[in-house]
Amino acid sequence: MASIHLQNIVKRYGGFVGVQNMSLDIADEEFLVLLGPSGCGKTTTMRMIAGLEEPTEGQIVIGGEVVNDIDARDRDVAMVFQGYALYPNMSIYENIRFPLRMRGIPASEHDARIRKAAEMVELGSFLDRKPGALSGGQRQRAALARAVVRQPQVFLMDEPLSNLDAKLRQSMRVQIKHMQRQLKVTTVYVTHDQIEAMTLADRIVIMNKGAIQQVGTPDEIYSDPANTFVAGFIGSPPMNLIQGTARDGRFTAPGISVPCPRFVHGQVTLGVRPEDCHVGGDNLQGQVYGVEPTGDVTYLTVLGGTNKIEVKAARDYRSDIDVAIGIAFDPAHLYFFDESGQRIRGAA
Amino acid sequence: MRTDAPSVPAGGVASATPDRSGNPPRRRSPALRKAFPYLLLAPAMIYLLAITLYPGLFAIYQSLFVVKFLNWTWTGLGNYSQILQDREFWAALGNTALIGGISLTLQTAIALTLAYFAYRDPLIRGWRIIFLMPMLFMPSAVAFIWKLAFNDGRVISDLLMSVGLVDGNVDWLASVWLARMTLIVADVWQWTPFLFIIFVAALQGQDQEIEEAARLDGASWPEIFWNISLPMMRPVIVVAVTLRGIDITTMFTNVFVMTQGTPGGATETMSYFIYRQGFRMFNFGYASAASVLMLILTIIIAQTVVKRAFHSGKK
Repeated sequence: MASIHLQNIVKRYGGFVGVQNMSLDIADEEFLVLLGPSGCGKTTTMRMIAGLEEPTEGQIVIGGEVVNDIDARDRDVAMVFQGYALYPNMSIYENIRFPLRMRGIPASEHDARIRKAAEMVELGSFLDRKPGALSGGQRQRAALARAVVRQPQVFLMDEPLSNLDAKLRQSMRVQIKHMQRQLKVTTVYVTHDQIEAMTLADRIVIMNKGAIQQVGTPDEIYSDPANTFVAGFIGSPPMNLIQGTARDGRFTAPGISVPCPRFVHGQVTLGVRPEDCHVGGDNLQGQVYGVEPTGDVTYLTVLGGTNKIEVKAARDYRSDIDVAIGIAFDPAHLYFFDESGQRIRGAA
Repeated sequence: MRTDAPSVPAGGVASATPDRSGNPPRRRSPALRKAFPYLLLAPAMIYLLAITLYPGLFAIYQSLFVVKFLNWTWTGLGNYSQILQDREFWAALGNTALIGGISLTLQTAIALTLAYFAYRDPLIRGWRIIFLMPMLFMPSAVAFIWKLAFNDGRVISDLLMSVGLVDGNVDWLASVWLARMTLIVADVWQWTPFLFIIFVAALQGQDQEIEEAARLDGASWPEIFWNISLPMMRPVIVVAVTLRGIDITTMFTNVFVMTQGTPGGATETMSYFIYRQGFRMFNFGYASAASVLMLILTIIIAQTVVKRAFHSGKK
């Protein structure tokens, strides 16, 4: 088990900067999720930790040792790939055994360890099959078993659930989290799915365009976003971001008027989450644009001026379109961002 | 009338749907419709029949006769029974198997080794053309190059002398194994690139994630190649080697140009044996029978190899 430190990591591909000056400390036994849109540098970061790519600048330290010059095979990290990367010519048993063989672990230990790992992912009865004869979920579990069987210092998981259907994804999420807690192995998990990030992570690192936007616990990221990118990325549906003007303790935009702290002024962006908007009130005056019942909640879109505001309404809320409606914003949960998109915080 | 107007006219009576040009659909006669696919296939089939099936059938037919130019005498399976007792036939078959087998083994081994070292080179697209060069030369030109290098021009002898490996000129055609070796060297030189290119393509086509997974599992490059890449390449290797093997059984040009079967028939391959029977001794029936036997043997071997390789690859 080991902690991981990234110190001023830069990765350039010719003129393109994949990861820019990234520093990050990952604690021992922590479950850290790298979250961001495609091309944000999260997979590149993970591949640098794995040793599959070299950082252009900076240091990577695993378990107190600088590993920049250590080959991937000697870093003692195990990785689960998006496409499973099972060896198609070997049975599942041989797949799980491969890292044991390659690392020179005594053959007498193999069988017990393979069966234990397979048991952990509930794959015990499929050991003699080839990967081609398994379903997507079973293959992913086999890939997990192959990663855990040699008890590495670090687990790296690169979007391991993205090829699975929604239902399977949910059950695999729980399984991965349970396994990580059980094995107490430092884990770095890459995903673009915020639900995975929120449910799995001890801490989330949100990345965009190669740079860290915010690091924090899921609660912090959700309730205290550092900038408009984080605010808009986390939450489903995402936070409403409304551009307007703040003056003398009041924020106004077409159809919208809310009180705001006095230190907020000028051209700013108001952020308010759909669940903090309530039908009935006068912060937003607009028309119903659409109503989407989902069963447990109804999403309501309100057109206020040129802004479309998402509102999480009661499950039985129904309305025709173009009906005039007033919305109240919860004053305790309003976020203001400056013109560069950074959060405006009080003098403190 | 607009072509996209509804097909029901104002009177309310539905008409047959016109096609986009407004004309009623064309109808082919049922016989023509049935024949149409065959008509499309006909040119290719005629071509194929003319260049392969007809000569093949003719050879089988001819193999049942003793043929001296226009004088055909029925002998039934006489040619076959005579061939099976012909020492030269068996020697030629043995030579083909030996020279072909060694050559094929060497080519496969060299091509795999080169492919292993080359496929991760991002610049391979640029320089693989150099590897292809030998294959692009005319076989007879290649045979002459090697004939010059080994015998007439004594290039190889000179090179060996200059590094002190031999004392004088080597007569490559004087020894059974040296003569066979010249044929093997020429064949390996010309045809290793064929296998190399196919193997490189197969390796580059493999899922890179699998290789990376193996690296993280602790495997070295040779271990990855041996445990994962090579087994995954198996179908490609089988097909490529089978194709090359079939080609080698018809090895003729090099023998004809370089050794003419000498010394003492030690380099006479099946093709050269058939050529000699047909065009030197004018036993056309006999040569045809040998060709037919060779064809049957090649089909059996190729079928067995491919079948076994693909069956044990599955499971």
